[in-house]
Amino acid sequence: MLKAAIDTEVFKEAVEVVAAIVSECRLNISANGLAVRAVDTANVAMISLELGAPAFNTFAAGDSQIGLDISKLKNIVASINKADVLTLDLPDGAYKMELAYGGFKYSISLLDVNTVRKDPNLPSIQLPGKVVIAGAELNNAIKAASLVSDKIAFGINPDNETFYMEADGDTDHINLEIKAADLKTFIPAEARSLFSLDYLKDMGRVMSKAEEVEIFLGKDHPVKFVFTIAGGEGKVEYLLAPRIESD
Amino acid sequence: MSRSQQCVQCKGRGFCGLPKCPITSRFYAKLKEKPRPFESYMGESPSVFIGSYSYPRVAGGPMMTAQADDPEEWVRKGCSIDDIVAMRSSTVRGSKTLNAAAGKAFLARTADSIQEVAISQKPIDIEVAFEKPVSFDLKFDGTLAPVGLSGEIKKMDVLDNAFVPRIVDKITSDGDLRAVDGMYELFKGGIDVHHIQNVLGAGLLGIEKNRRFVPTRWGITAIDDSISRRLKSEIMKYPPISDVTVFSGAIHANHIVCMLVPGDWKFEMIEIWEKNSMWAGDSDVIVVDSETKKSKNDYSPIGGAYYSARLAVLEYLSDIRRNAEVILVRRATKDYWAPLGTWVIREATRNAMNSQPVKCEDTKEGADTVTKFCGGDTWLKHSRLYTELRTQKSLFDF
Repeated sequence: MLKAAIDTEVFKEAVEVVAAIVSECRLNISANGLAVRAVDTANVAMISLELGAPAFNTFAAGDSQIGLDISKLKNIVASINKADVLTLDLPDGAYKMELAYGGFKYSISLLDVNTVRKDPNLPSIQLPGKVVIAGAELNNAIKAASLVSDKIAFGINPDNETFYMEADGDTDHINLEIKAADLKTFIPAEARSLFSLDYLKDMGRVMSKAEEVEIFLGKDHPVKFVFTIAGGEGKVEYLLAPRIESD
Repeated sequence: MSRSQQCVQCKGRGFCGLPKCPITSRFYAKLKEKPRPFESYMGESPSVFIGSYSYPRVAGGPMMTAQADDPEEWVRKGCSIDDIVAMRSSTVRGSKTLNAAAGKAFLARTADSIQEVAISQKPIDIEVAFEKPVSFDLKFDGTLAPVGLSGEIKKMDVLDNAFVPRIVDKITSDGDLRAVDGMYELFKGGIDVHHIQNVLGAGLLGIEKNRRFVPTRWGITAIDDSISRRLKSEIMKYPPISDVTVFSGAIHANHIVCMLVPGDWKFEMIEIWEKNSMWAGDSDVIVVDSETKKSKNDYSPIGGAYYSARLAVLEYLSDIRRNAEVILVRRATKDYWAPLGTWVIREATRNAMNSQPVKCEDTKEGADTVTKFCGGDTWLKHSRLYTELRTQKSLFDF
């Protein structure tokens, strides 16, 4: 059961965060809020989202799990006026969720939970390096890199205390270095991994709105991005597997 | 850009600025028998042709030949390149100035008769008088099938009744159905791509007030692309295939090797024009293009062949209801001496997808199999998708 009201802006952000990785997911509903954990079909990117009850204007829910077509939901939400308040209504055992806003009543069919991939286990990964930068800056670096290549390297140089992002194309090269002093947080460690921009472009667009993004890095290891939405009431974690060139 | 690189991308469209393509005009000399000029034609017309020159005031009209005009038919009959060129040499392309602006497709007396020819699945008899005696001028082009003769029409009459399949009648009579939806419905209704081209070209598809004549060259790619887009969103819902599989097939010295890898739709096509083949010079020329699950925006540097090949692969995936990442290599050897149109690639790829697939252990073995079929590993260093497949780790590897 779910009965809740939420600002459209907040809901839109939450939907976009998930839509950057998967097109359908299982939505876990509990009295504490909503939670999603999903990986894309290629097992390369993972999203964990926890949207706490305080992010909603009103929130009442019992434990349940439903299957959602996120791409469809994203299109619906895109058409809603930002000023409207959205109400979500899902009776117990229902096959449809009702979205109401500004006089409209939208009832969307849910997916059978069994047809949607199970929530993955969180892989246990040690990522020693950590930096915190502005989401907009991260997105700019991703956009710049995609002009020259299809992959980007994130790394930390503990010797001269810098965090760097670099991309090598067939003919061109792009490099961005940020000194530890200019970063909000800097935990040095030998770290460098290569990532596919295909995935990062979608993630970057979403992260560009976040004031701070925590980046956890290792050597030829996945990268973890952690940031908040909904004024701190929603926590998002992205995990992205690297590309390893030497084999 | 080197000359041969430009030739491979242009395929006779005149990018170099010469008045006549030196490559296509050399086939002219290869033909022994050239028909004598004549002033009128009475006989079968299997299809229509709309030119793209000076759009929207284009020239279009019926094709006149008693022989098969449908590439799918040529493949079934096993025609050789020589057979096809000979057949096309004696084909007449009738033309009349047509206005291809929106909504103009129902006007004009000629439009009616062109539309009757186009809508018919079987060739129908027509009688045509030409302005001047028709003379021989064989034209080749990368996208279109070649044509030998062309003449301006003075008067044209349709002598026969069109044979119209029920679905074609239904779709073309619906003035509220968009052209893209119409094409897809026809395709799903079992109408072959060649017939859809005719119907689209003659301005019989789309919302009534938007209907217009569509130049055949543009129509071919428009159909390949629109149907592929639909099939692409359809297969995105399916689970990935279970094994790495490699397919191989060839038509008219165009060898297609296609590797399917489990995963979400990605498509990469590598076109290799071998040394001394038609468009290439004295070294291999390679053009690569690719796409991911997002829709593709720019026109492919490979040209119409990209869209034709992609359609054939998507048809296969839609049949087996599976999703996959695809690397497709097209190798054109020097035996492909005359450009016959992108249908060659569509049919060659269909031929490959119908072949017995080779199952492979992993992408590495798959790549080795592709190399074996291609007779070389030139494709490997041009394939970005392969590098990605080999280097991308999964989250559960850690």
